[in-house]
Amino acid sequence: MMDVVQFLWPPFLVAVCLVGIHTYFGILVLARKVIFVDLALAQIAALGATVAFMLGHPAQSVATYGYSLTFTLLAAVLLAFTRAWGTRVPQEALIGVIYVVAAATAILLIDRAPQGAEHLKQILTGNILTSGLSDVALIVPLYAAVGLLHWLLRRHMTGAGSLAWEFVFYATFGVVVTSSVAIAGVLLVFSFLIIPAAIGVMFAESLARQLAIGWIVGTFVSAAGLAASFVFDLPTGATMVCAFGAALALAGILYPFLRGDRRSATRSTVATARWIIAAILAGSALQLAAAPRAEQPLLDFTEWAIPPLRALYFTRPEAATYADASEHAERYRLQAEQLNERERRNRTEGQPLDDFAVARISSFLKSYGEMRKGEQFVMNEVRMRARERVRWIGSLVLLACAVLIAPVPWRRLWAGKKPLTPHA
Amino acid sequence: MAWRFAILVVLCALASPGFAQDRVLVVTTTTDLRSLTEAVGGDRVEAVSLVPPNMDAEEYQPKPQDMLRLKQARLLVRVGLDYDLWLDRLLAQAARPEISRGGPAYVDASFAISVLELRGMSVGPGDGHAHGSGNPHYWLDPKNAETITANILEALARIDPANAVAYEANRQAFLARLNAKLAEWESKLSALKSVPIVAYHNSWPYFARRFRLDVIGFIETKPGVPPSPSHLAAIVRDMRARGARIVVREPHEPERDVAFVAGKAGAQVVTLAASVGALPRAGDYISLFDVNVEALASVAKR
Repeated sequence: MMDVVQFLWPPFLVAVCLVGIHTYFGILVLARKVIFVDLALAQIAALGATVAFMLGHPAQSVATYGYSLTFTLLAAVLLAFTRAWGTRVPQEALIGVIYVVAAATAILLIDRAPQGAEHLKQILTGNILTSGLSDVALIVPLYAAVGLLHWLLRRHMTGAGSLAWEFVFYATFGVVVTSSVAIAGVLLVFSFLIIPAAIGVMFAESLARQLAIGWIVGTFVSAAGLAASFVFDLPTGATMVCAFGAALALAGILYPFLRGDRRSATRSTVATARWIIAAILAGSALQLAAAPRAEQPLLDFTEWAIPPLRALYFTRPEAATYADASEHAERYRLQAEQLNERERRNRTEGQPLDDFAVARISSFLKSYGEMRKGEQFVMNEVRMRARERVRWIGSLVLLACAVLIAPVPWRRLWAGKKPLTPHA
Repeated sequence: MAWRFAILVVLCALASPGFAQDRVLVVTTTTDLRSLTEAVGGDRVEAVSLVPPNMDAEEYQPKPQDMLRLKQARLLVRVGLDYDLWLDRLLAQAARPEISRGGPAYVDASFAISVLELRGMSVGPGDGHAHGSGNPHYWLDPKNAETITANILEALARIDPANAVAYEANRQAFLARLNAKLAEWESKLSALKSVPIVAYHNSWPYFARRFRLDVIGFIETKPGVPPSPSHLAAIVRDMRARGARIVVREPHEPERDVAFVAGKAGAQVVTLAASVGALPRAGDYISLFDVNVEALASVAKR
């Protein structure tokens, strides 16, 4: 438990700081409809750092940061102009062009200096898990200064101001994004920027309330994502992005309950859920009938979750063959694992194995691999044949379930037919 | 420096008319195989590596020039074991049966290597049998150079039988030099026997077996996937419990994650070259080991 806290609290602090500034910028970005501007700015900053790197400046030097900043400011000028140019072509299209050209230019430059590829990757794929208090010490004063500047200029930051104010907006945003992308990576920064802000905008009108909702949601979801990545042993950044996505989906489901008529919201939610389940069942029925030997995602998943379900359609000899093959496959896997482990331990312990012994182990491992593959083939074949046998009855059952679950008012349809008869 | 070298090359070419054309053009996928091919071929071959030094060969994206090189190649040498899978699509496009799988001028250098850590199945196109792929970093055991150079020698002798004797002599001279060096490396690394080490990527099983090093864990468990917090916590706990003081990293691997783990566990980071040219002084196969052994030995002393 100590380990968890010790490992996760620095990234959590960093996440809170990033949520703080990005929710605010996210609301402005959503209002301006320039969703992907952060990607363009981050890529431009990376291009600047790449140029510095090509000219021989070390990665973390003042000169490199200067190049990054200069490129970002130039991009801010460009972006400030895009609104004026964007009358016939959407502004987002121009932002996309800036992004791809910056990315492609960086690749072309890097091609001349192979060791730069890792450098470029590091600028754009930070890892929030390995960020620490030194990052917090850097970004807190920076974000505080940007926040203060925006508070002082709050009347000009609405997006309706002159070119100069637009430049100030994009320049400060660029400075923020450049630092945050290096810490958390492009994907996570995009989530920090858009998702808490979007949830805030969904549920509130005033900027203060939108900010409050975004900050609370962002903080909780960051904590949940970090905890999930620890508990389920998953890469941190990707887990947090998915947690933010789930939060937005949940907000979308909750929206009609909190904003509209609760009863009709419940009714439509249940109906949608029933339609989705019915569609999945009907699709599986079709798949089973049309191609019983192909993958059956629904059947495969239920069998994986509840293995005894196989008894429903396996004959007794099939079940015996399947169990036997599965036992052998596992035994071969274990034996191969033991051999591997013995070889690994022998690298440092006891007399070293000679090359002949290693070659023998290697050929044993190959045989175990082939035999395991063979057993897996048997398991698969038994299952496919059993499915082929029950394809019609199985798909009929699935179809019947789909019909039962689909929210079609069968009784009313049945009754509704009567008035159409000539007697009425 | 470079232009002086260029003039020298031009003068050499002028002094021996026809010499440049006679050299056998060998294309290899990595710089390690290029260096070993040069060791066998001497000045009778011109070896070119498709992957530039210090680039991750597993993630290489071929360029148009590579196709041209394959079109002109008389011999192709690859790492195999799913390490350079991108080559298969390139070969299909080049449409040259003699340097394609099964052709007389195609060398899979992993042939007859005792592969370590065979798990799971190969994903590459093969002959239909499910051969395990195993760990592909086999050139990092200097003893394996014997097998690799034998594979290269066999193919060179087949396509250029007139010079077979010279190739054989080159290989023997190289192996004699390598064996003398091997004794030196082994004595230098004896201080590190059974000292626990952590690596970023699982590139070192062959190296560890030869020099009796104890690699107890990896920061990156699957290529390209960042580590999870529970995995990092477990690694740091292990390192503290077993007193691991060294974290090994290759130049193209992320500096920050390695420094993070090393900092938490109070260990030192050593940058090693897993391929020829990955570090400036690792210019050929023998100096590759010189550089790595030197770096590890200097940490062991501290």
